[in-house]
Amino acid sequence: MKRLAVIVDHEACWGCLACEVACKQENNADVGIKFIDVLEEPVRERNGKPHFSFNVNLCRHAECDGAPCVAVCPTDAIELREDGIVVMNIDDCVGCDLCIPECPFAAIVFNHQRSVTQKCNLCSHRVDRGLIPACADNICLAHCIYFGDPEEIRPRIEAMRRVRDRM
Amino acid sequence: MVEFVYSNVEKEMAAYGYDAVTHSHCRMCHGGCGVLVYTRNGKVEKIAGDPESPIGHGTLCSKGLASAQLAYHPDRLQYPVKRVGPKGSGQWQRISWDEALDTIAEKMLGYKERFGAESVVLGYGTGRENEAAIYRFANLFGTPNVLTAGHLCYGPRISTGIITCGSNPIVDYENKPRCVMAWGNNLVIANSDEYKGEDLSVCLDSGSKLIVVDPRLTRLAARADIWLQLRPGTDAALALGMLNTIIGEELYDKDFVENYVHGWEPFVARVREYPVDRVAAITWIPAAKIRAAARLFATTKPAGIQWGVAIEQQINCADNNRLLLALMGITGNIDRQGGQVLFKTPKINNVGKFGAHDKLPPEQVVKRLGGDRFRLAGHFAIVNPKCVWDAVVTGEPYPVKMMFFISSNPVMTRANANAVYEALEKVEFMAVADFFITPTAELADIVLPAATWLEMDYIGDFWKRHGYILPRRKVVQIGECRSDHEMLNDLAHRVGQGEHWWDDFEQGLDYILEPMGIKWQEFKKMKYARGEVSYEKHKTRGFSTPTRKFELYSTLLEQWGYDPLPTYREPVESPISTPERYAEYPYILVTGARSPGYFHTENRQLPNLRELQPDPFLEIHPDTARKHGIGNGDWVLIESPRGRVRQRAKLFGGIDPRVVGAQHAWWYPDKNVKGQGWNESNINVLTEDSYESCDPAMGANSVRTLLCRISRDSDQRGKGRGDAA
Ligand code: SF4
Ligand code: SF4
Ligand code: SF4
Ligand code: SF4
Repeated sequence: MKRLAVIVDHEACWGCLACEVACKQENNADVGIKFIDVLEEPVRERNGKPHFSFNVNLCRHAECDGAPCVAVCPTDAIELREDGIVVMNIDDCVGCDLCIPECPFAAIVFNHQRSVTQKCNLCSHRVDRGLIPACADNICLAHCIYFGDPEEIRPRIEAMRRVRDRM
Repeated sequence: MVEFVYSNVEKEMAAYGYDAVTHSHCRMCHGGCGVLVYTRNGKVEKIAGDPESPIGHGTLCSKGLASAQLAYHPDRLQYPVKRVGPKGSGQWQRISWDEALDTIAEKMLGYKERFGAESVVLGYGTGRENEAAIYRFANLFGTPNVLTAGHLCYGPRISTGIITCGSNPIVDYENKPRCVMAWGNNLVIANSDEYKGEDLSVCLDSGSKLIVVDPRLTRLAARADIWLQLRPGTDAALALGMLNTIIGEELYDKDFVENYVHGWEPFVARVREYPVDRVAAITWIPAAKIRAAARLFATTKPAGIQWGVAIEQQINCADNNRLLLALMGITGNIDRQGGQVLFKTPKINNVGKFGAHDKLPPEQVVKRLGGDRFRLAGHFAIVNPKCVWDAVVTGEPYPVKMMFFISSNPVMTRANANAVYEALEKVEFMAVADFFITPTAELADIVLPAATWLEMDYIGDFWKRHGYILPRRKVVQIGECRSDHEMLNDLAHRVGQGEHWWDDFEQGLDYILEPMGIKWQEFKKMKYARGEVSYEKHKTRGFSTPTRKFELYSTLLEQWGYDPLPTYREPVESPISTPERYAEYPYILVTGARSPGYFHTENRQLPNLRELQPDPFLEIHPDTARKHGIGNGDWVLIESPRGRVRQRAKLFGGIDPRVVGAQHAWWYPDKNVKGQGWNESNINVLTEDSYESCDPAMGANSVRTLLCRISRDSDQRGKGRGDAA
């Protein structure tokens, strides 16, 4: 079975934040609640030059080894699907907040307005209807948000990197 | 297993039960990106990109994706209003369109009769595709005074492009230049004019070289092969230094120079006044780096310069542009495939024709405010704002009695905001057309509700220079909002210029398309139209300049009494030109760096965009911040000799410790607070607008290079966000 995730090639990201707004438009998350978060890394030296890049953070789904958030949830509000999508059902979330420290990627946020935890569900409502997740549906000007099987995506990102770095 | 394809319209419609999808194109900035607008029950439900769009190929920015939040914003003005209390009181009364336009028409005609048509000034802000209609109206009315951003944005590229080579050369991203030099431009998040960030991004992903000239480390700069971190305002010197290397090392295109250039020898003599070592001292960039960049740019073919507004908001505005044109020209990249092309629009009644510039009587042309002082601007129908404020306040050279701002918020966007505010408070009659009651609209007598791009039919991009025109199709009607074009068409009939307009503005669109032999209803069904693409046209026809050559030496500037050769002037305020002031204001302040979500003064009301960045920030190097006890996120007071505002510190290692970078156009929309925080964080409270501080030919203000001092604000409340207590 094909496994699914959204994977971002951070080195190609321009930090335009369109993916955040596309996710908002689709999922209507409350103000301040982000399922996808574009983080600006601090300036550092790289190859003797000042450098910085962006890191686009969201739930790793099929790429998250063992999906540790799933087991820790006392109400089974988080489900690991066969296709690798990890769905959090906020109706079943009791706001115990146990999953947040379990996530190695800080991909779960606490929504104080509703006293529940929330995260990216890989737009499973779209995926199940044959649609690409909103953030990955060709809105990104860098074309660096990939959707599909990580095993197919990783080599594509590598190939792009080689051209981009003029190797 | 299902197959996933991008932008699957059928599945999208089925999954969400949308009734319709309209292909249109966005105008949350200057516009251009193709969009699919999904609607249900007559309401816009979703904005998505149109992969078939030639601009951006279906990728969108944050602003475009938030368009529906603008259209349906609860605070949006949906009907005309007139002010019933004193200026700024916020007391409005709903009126009909007829009453609003009749009042405006009556005022206009009255002032025209008593003080001349020139006493009425029309204004717009940045390019929102209404400019040709506004010029048409003004020219037919007889006023030479249209106050735009053209003196410091795009107007300089157009006017210097025209006097140098007949048009504004655009980077030919579709043919992937092998080297791009992004000069004061951050295309990937900026509100670009022709091509968008995607076109550049794809080009870089194909392995093109990148040179970035910017005082700030943008992500583009971080990815560059060479980043030239110049002292703000020294662009002209840097360009002269690069030209020096290119000429000295004979890296220029000899055939082009020999056959197609006017004024080579005097130009070379001027360039020789700027040896690279001298330039290094002026610009703070090591000489070796300047040479390396010059060589990379000159020897990688084809190459293009992605230029933008930053170089235009300086005293060297016109010469910065001319020097970049010179770099494009002598390296043989002008009108070269994959270089920098003089694209042709399709055969249409273009902006100039539609703008009816030939209808303004010569005796009115000479009355253009500031036309004798800023003569390059004057020849392109561009007015310096201070000339207008002065005419309002002093009545010299003649009184300005009425202003009509259409999609413009000068209180926020013009230099020396306090003087602007004073002039707007004083002017006898003012009308505004906009989406909201902005700080500028607060001072108006009548405010008209403007349509967003979702609410209009229009021929988009028809003023741009990439050669495309794109149909923008009306999706919804919201309240009584009207497009600026329809509004002006209606007003035109009320002031007696009806014979030059139409019963319905759709016929105006037909008029634009007439030379193509089609009507709007047909164009509406097309994806786009593009002018014939051809390259190196100068080889058969020369350039459209007086000498038919590429004018490194400008015969027109000479005729208008300017130095025909480009030169470098120190910024008006700088450690070198004003050392005493520098002792008191020890940082160079750059302004106006773009951030996602905002388009100048716009979008602070839209939740999905405001949360991207809730407050304005001032970029400060961590070492500098430490000296002043400023922590990341602290509110900081920024002061210049003109005034004081506050923004929040963003500690950023990508800016020189001697420089700080502020954001522009910040206000705090809140209809219940007088002024809506117009002077709390507005960087233009700090900028200067004296005539001496402007580019002598173009009248551009030095709003990006000034001196300031900074300190941690003792009041750390975020007032504009309502937590002022
Ligand atoms: S849309 Fe693409 S480029 Fe923009 S922030 Fe997201 S990942 Fe980065
Ligand atoms: S939320 Fe965190 S732990 Fe759970 S699947 Fe996603 S990435 Fe893994
Ligand atoms: S997959 Fe959907 S929910 Fe997840 S970040 Fe992207 S748009 Fe948001
Ligand atoms: S770049 Fe401009 S036209 Fe394109 S989506 Fe953004 S606002 Fe709209």
